[in-house]
Amino acid sequence: MNRRTFITGAFVSTAALAVGVNLSTSFTRQEHVQSSHRMLFATLIPIFLDGALPDVATHKEQAINRTLNTIEATINVLPQEQREEITLLLNMLESRFSLLLITGSLTPLILRQPFELIDMLESWRQHFITLLNTAYLGLREVIMASYYASPEHWGRLQYVKPTFVVGDN
Amino acid sequence: MAIIDPIEVGLAAGWQHVDAGFLDKDKHFDADVVIVGTGAGGGTAAEILSQAGLKVLMIEAGGLKSSRHFDMEERTAYPNLYQQAAAMKTADKGIGIFQGRTVGGSTTINWTTSIRTPAPTLDFWQQQRSVSGLTTSSLQPWFEMMEQRLNIHQWDYQPNKNNAVLRDGCKKLGWQHTVIKRNVKGCWNTGYCGMGCPVNAKQSMLVTTIPSALNAGAVLVSRAKVTDIAHRQDNVTSLSAIAQNEFGQPTGVKLTFSARHYVLSAGAIHTPTLLMRAKTPDPHLLLGQTFLHPTLLSGAIFDEQVNGHSGAPQSIYSDEFVWSDGAAGALGYKLESAPVHPILIASKTIGFGESHAQLMAQFNHLQVIIALVRDGFNQDSPGGRIRLTDNSFALDYPLNDAFWQVAKRAFKSMAQLQFAAGAKQVLSMSDGQSMVSSLTQAEHAIDNMEIGLLKTIVASAHVMGGCPMGEDKTQAMIGSNGQSHYLENLSVFDGSMFPTSLGANPQLSIYAIVAKNATALAKKLIR
Ligand SMILES: Cc1cc2nc3c(=O)[nH]c(=O)nc-3n(C[C@H](O)[C@H](O)[C@H](O)COP(=O)(O)OP(=O)(O)OC[C@H]3O[C@@H](n4cnc5c(N)ncnc54)[C@H](O)[C@@H]3O)c2cc1C
Repeated sequence: MNRRTFITGAFVSTAALAVGVNLSTSFTRQEHVQSSHRMLFATLIPIFLDGALPDVATHKEQAINRTLNTIEATINVLPQEQREEITLLLNMLESRFSLLLITGSLTPLILRQPFELIDMLESWRQHFITLLNTAYLGLREVIMASYYASPEHWGRLQYVKPTFVVGDN
Repeated sequence: MAIIDPIEVGLAAGWQHVDAGFLDKDKHFDADVVIVGTGAGGGTAAEILSQAGLKVLMIEAGGLKSSRHFDMEERTAYPNLYQQAAAMKTADKGIGIFQGRTVGGSTTINWTTSIRTPAPTLDFWQQQRSVSGLTTSSLQPWFEMMEQRLNIHQWDYQPNKNNAVLRDGCKKLGWQHTVIKRNVKGCWNTGYCGMGCPVNAKQSMLVTTIPSALNAGAVLVSRAKVTDIAHRQDNVTSLSAIAQNEFGQPTGVKLTFSARHYVLSAGAIHTPTLLMRAKTPDPHLLLGQTFLHPTLLSGAIFDEQVNGHSGAPQSIYSDEFVWSDGAAGALGYKLESAPVHPILIASKTIGFGESHAQLMAQFNHLQVIIALVRDGFNQDSPGGRIRLTDNSFALDYPLNDAFWQVAKRAFKSMAQLQFAAGAKQVLSMSDGQSMVSSLTQAEHAIDNMEIGLLKTIVASAHVMGGCPMGEDKTQAMIGSNGQSHYLENLSVFDGSMFPTSLGANPQLSIYAIVAKNATALAKKLIR
């Protein structure tokens, strides 16, 4: 396995719980998550969060946008090395050549059907190559953590945080 | 309701606090004693040394955050208060690690469970690890002192349902269980300890020993990360640090510190990493052996609401399976509950899409038991090892067959307990598992489980070891009194001193042993 592939595999789960919403407020948008990466995540979010996202189309779109912003912020609060690794993976998932290697198909992820994406994630999840398990887990964790970070997304959980005391942060 | 923030009050009253993130030029500091890190070990030492009349300076990599910042949301707490924004993992990504990075260290975000060091652990250290003078009886006055200092008492309120399940299951099965003692004063029983106590009830270092040290004239330098320890012959000569901004990035400002005596309390992982980076003597290659109490999770669905986010996060534990085979025997595990919060649960469960959404929809009916495996007591469980990387560190902690065997036993015990307490369904948190409705089904599923790395969820909030204590230099880096075997003016006062894991939650062990050792150090330094 070459170094480039290895680094990419190693990175992803590091994003796990690093939800950077709060710290992100004073960040100006950085280059790390380019709009193309937003499109990639926008493709994967409905797959990972099927059944969790709101049913009403406009609410669903808002929820996806909020999650995309959180993912962006999350990546910004990671230590530099991990941030670089994430960018590398995202770039790979957008490169047709790497996609062919990882998924056996040249079709960009954003052009694939939901069932194809589910199959792809399931195959990464079950795969005997650790690298692909890690890619699945990393994407899963960053998307799940970023979605459930927002109080707006707790409706289906029937959960709200206590309101007896309000911090200033 | 308005909550008085003791940190704001103290700062207004003139505490000496330097937020290094705001410094615009390099700066040098002098003190009698410099302490690196302000968690369980650093906080305890700071109070004792400053009250002995020594000029103490505390250096903390994290920021000075206090109750007014603690808004009970994970999205605020993780990036602000946790190491690596709570995303830290072992090198192979097999274990997720939680550790604090803020003034007060992990005590600012811990769950308040306070347990004395188990006797089998102390005996093992004495017999196998050349530790001397730390016995149940010699430590008793120090436990008592710190229990009094931090208001550690048995939690006499009703446990929340998440913990009541643990108690009820144990009662039904005739298993050992104990009501937990907690370091709280006037606790509101809200359940948000892990995000910083919003009402200052938790008697963490942030609101107890650190304010008391600052009142006694100590200096706190926050957002300063110590990066090097200069040493010559048998002495440390100075420390260097870099200032960090709000996002943990270097501002470019450099700080230096000199003192008569230096105390490392940067916690397990960071204390040994600092010593390794500084190339301090380690002829027997002992630095960096790390223990985690690697922990497994089992979820259960109850008909009634559990509301695991609400109420004291831990109030019952069971030691039924910790010491069954003696300290050096087969691996054992402690059973506890874990709080249920949205990000934590969404991430530490399995699957995606519809099945995950269904689990999340049962959020308020979800009960979680955890099994903490005690590590480091025999060859089967050597723990992990830290290695330096170009700019940071990595922790190699291979999970071996012995671990996976005990993990299966632990999953079975947790399912047995949850069903005994009335669970409708149980889910062992390992990929490929689904909800089962009876113990027979659970046992069958666990027997056939594809258990292993990246499949089974393993986490840790108890990082220990890396700079072991003991009198035999082939086994220990520091003496049982915390004093370095190699550098005369260096002590290590934190969770890295443990020669094995504890088999119990660590904070009270750190408080008591550090109180003993810091008191002895104070006597030596003021002589
Ligand atoms: C979520 C969570 C829940 C927990 N619950 C419990 C519980 O209920 N009961 C229990 O007994 N234990 C619990 N623990 C563990 C317990 O809090 C820790 O074991 C204990 O606080 C460790 O103390 P320490 O002094 O070794 O390090 P820490 O308390 O972790 O403090 C170390 C400090 O050093 C700082 N530091 C590190 N490197 C540097 C550097 N280079 N320069 C400057 N500063 C540095 C860190 O930022 C940190 O603030 C929990 C931990 C977590 C994370």
